[in-house]
Amino acid sequence: MEYNGAAIIAMKGKNCVAIAADRRFGVQAQTVGTNFQKIFEMGPRLFIGLPGLATDVQTVFGPYFVEPVIAGLDPKTFEPFVASMDLIGCPMVPDDFVVSGTCSEQMYGMCESLWEPDLEPDDLFETISQALLNAVDRDAVSGWGAVVYVMISLKFLTKKKTRYKRH
Amino acid sequence: MALAQVCGLNEFSLSSQGPKTFRDESISIDDAVFASENFTIPTQFDPVENLKQFTSPESDVKIQFDHGTTTLAFKFQNGVVVAVDSRATAGPYIASQTVKKVIEINPYLLGTMAGGAADCSYWERVLAKQCRVYELRNKERISVAAASKLLANIVYNYKGMGLSMGTMICGWDKRGPGLYYVDSDGERLTNNIFSVGSGSVYAYGVLDSGYRWDLTTEEALDLGQRAIYHATHRDAYSGGVVNLYHMKETGWEFISRTDVLDLHYKYQDEKKK
Amino acid sequence: MAATLAAEPITGGFSFENCRRNASLEKMGIKPPTAYKTGTTIAGVVFKDGVVLGADTRATEDTVVADKNCSKIHYIAPNIYCCGAGTAADTEMTTNMISSQIELHRLNTGRTPRVCTANRLLKQFLFRYHGYISAALVLGGVDTTGSYLYSIHPHGSTDKLPYVTMGSGSLAAMAVFEDGFKAEMEKEKAMKLVRDAIAAGIFNDLGSGSNVDLCIITKDKVEYLRPYDEANLKGVRQGNYRYKKGTTAVLKKEVVKSMFEVVKTQVKTTKPESMDTT
Repeated sequence: MEYNGAAIIAMKGKNCVAIAADRRFGVQAQTVGTNFQKIFEMGPRLFIGLPGLATDVQTVFGPYFVEPVIAGLDPKTFEPFVASMDLIGCPMVPDDFVVSGTCSEQMYGMCESLWEPDLEPDDLFETISQALLNAVDRDAVSGWGAVVYVMISLKFLTKKKTRYKRH
Repeated sequence: MALAQVCGLNEFSLSSQGPKTFRDESISIDDAVFASENFTIPTQFDPVENLKQFTSPESDVKIQFDHGTTTLAFKFQNGVVVAVDSRATAGPYIASQTVKKVIEINPYLLGTMAGGAADCSYWERVLAKQCRVYELRNKERISVAAASKLLANIVYNYKGMGLSMGTMICGWDKRGPGLYYVDSDGERLTNNIFSVGSGSVYAYGVLDSGYRWDLTTEEALDLGQRAIYHATHRDAYSGGVVNLYHMKETGWEFISRTDVLDLHYKYQDEKKK
Repeated sequence: MAATLAAEPITGGFSFENCRRNASLEKMGIKPPTAYKTGTTIAGVVFKDGVVLGADTRATEDTVVADKNCSKIHYIAPNIYCCGAGTAADTEMTTNMISSQIELHRLNTGRTPRVCTANRLLKQFLFRYHGYISAALVLGGVDTTGSYLYSIHPHGSTDKLPYVTMGSGSLAAMAVFEDGFKAEMEKEKAMKLVRDAIAAGIFNDLGSGSNVDLCIITKDKVEYLRPYDEANLKGVRQGNYRYKKGTTAVLKKEVVKSMFEVVKTQVKTTKPESMDTT
């Protein structure tokens, strides 16, 4: 986990769901890139985020060093869905948010205080972005901006990219 | 103590008969050693063994020293530029983004901080006292060479006992700008350019490509700031703000304190032009 | 494993493909991620008409509470349920696999599965792995021969008892049982006793927490009560921390309409209307 560094959050809103990841790719202390893909589109309205050992993020499956985060809308009912797994695939399906990565404690803290039920897409975007950006500000091995995907059940899919928070 | 020394009082008559001090009494007391004489510790105490229980990977209680840092200093025609970052980390956790890593020893001496924060600030405080005593005795300021050697001698006495510091002593004396690197191994070097810390490799890259002896003051300050910025960009354990100092004939001057985020956008805009 | 480009056929079971690599990565000082554990209180009692199973709902990842409301009472068969403690993935997968075997057995025999069958399958499965599958289970159910309750340990040993507890909060829960258990209890009394036992675990064991789930299995009915009791209610947030829209600086924004699959096509024939000639 700490070898490459990563931070991923997925959150439920009202008829929408969002997933966000940081963009740093590093090898321990050294930052190698600042536009690394950690969220993958697995199908329409379905994304997974893979924080962990970068080589495993790109090959995946098996007892690899990753802790996946899943976010999507139900193909039929458009019900929002978020879930996370540990490295051996134990699913956890809560009804608010999931976090995973090197600064999970910070992300839990931000999400516990910021998240509330039935957030509209715009509010969900601000909540998930600020939760992630403020969390990575206290983590040396993740950060350098973020990618946020907001899926809205109005049959639209919104992609947003953001970098560097300003207070 | 310092005053007593200046007055020529016998040190031995002042030393307490209480717990055994860390220094062996049989060693003659010179200035450098005298400063550290006041540690009182239990008998049969081994600092190296004691430290191991907190630093070994198996131990439950772990002290993670602040190793992540970028500090640099270089001499040029108009003095010395000192630039440092401000991040403190404990493992991957960022403990602070507002650490002061330049220690203002006196108006003509600056020290930088890398390695153990406590070790650096304590021993440079001891050094400040020693330098003042020197001034009172000799009616003139201590040279940078002498001050840095004083520090090197002190830490050499504790070699192998767990001290962790990598510092640059910068100043101005009769010989002009002075710059010395001193570390906890007891090493002491002088050169035109130094950079210390986990981000030093990146800082050296920028410094080496932009350095000339005849840089103008403005160019030199910009180079120092740039080098720290690029180090914070690549090194996860460096970041926060760039603190910039200029050592001149009249003593040091604090130039600026700039958030690396602001620098990031500034340099990005420059590239676009 | 042979390095081939073609995907290997899925053979099922465990994969040890990365074990050597992971061991050497660990030797290099790379810390592997920690698996979810259910530092747990699970318990069950036999009463007059059946069994009551109970569990807390906390899942932990090291010192972090990973899930505040996870489900630890797993389905085995319509008349059999099983509580799990230990590594969350292991209890989840073990009970799933046994559940499917029991279902196949039921289809083959055409009979309601018996609790002792599930117990035997579980213990034989766990024994094969010498405790490396970290699953401590409380199995309970009602079949044609009566009501049964088993505790199953990770190495494969089992006990058939009238009241059992498992997990890190088992001592607290057992203290309640030892004090309050009576043979042939009424349902309400049994439920209260299990609730108290789980609550003792929730309050006295740091690995257990949140709510009490209960599952009451009787001859012709299963009541799965989740949550049965919320032992720890979260305080109501007084302030509002919502960020104003536009707080986050957006560098690039893309809107993508997502694909839809055609689920159903309907063709309607309508009568052509007569042309308006007025």
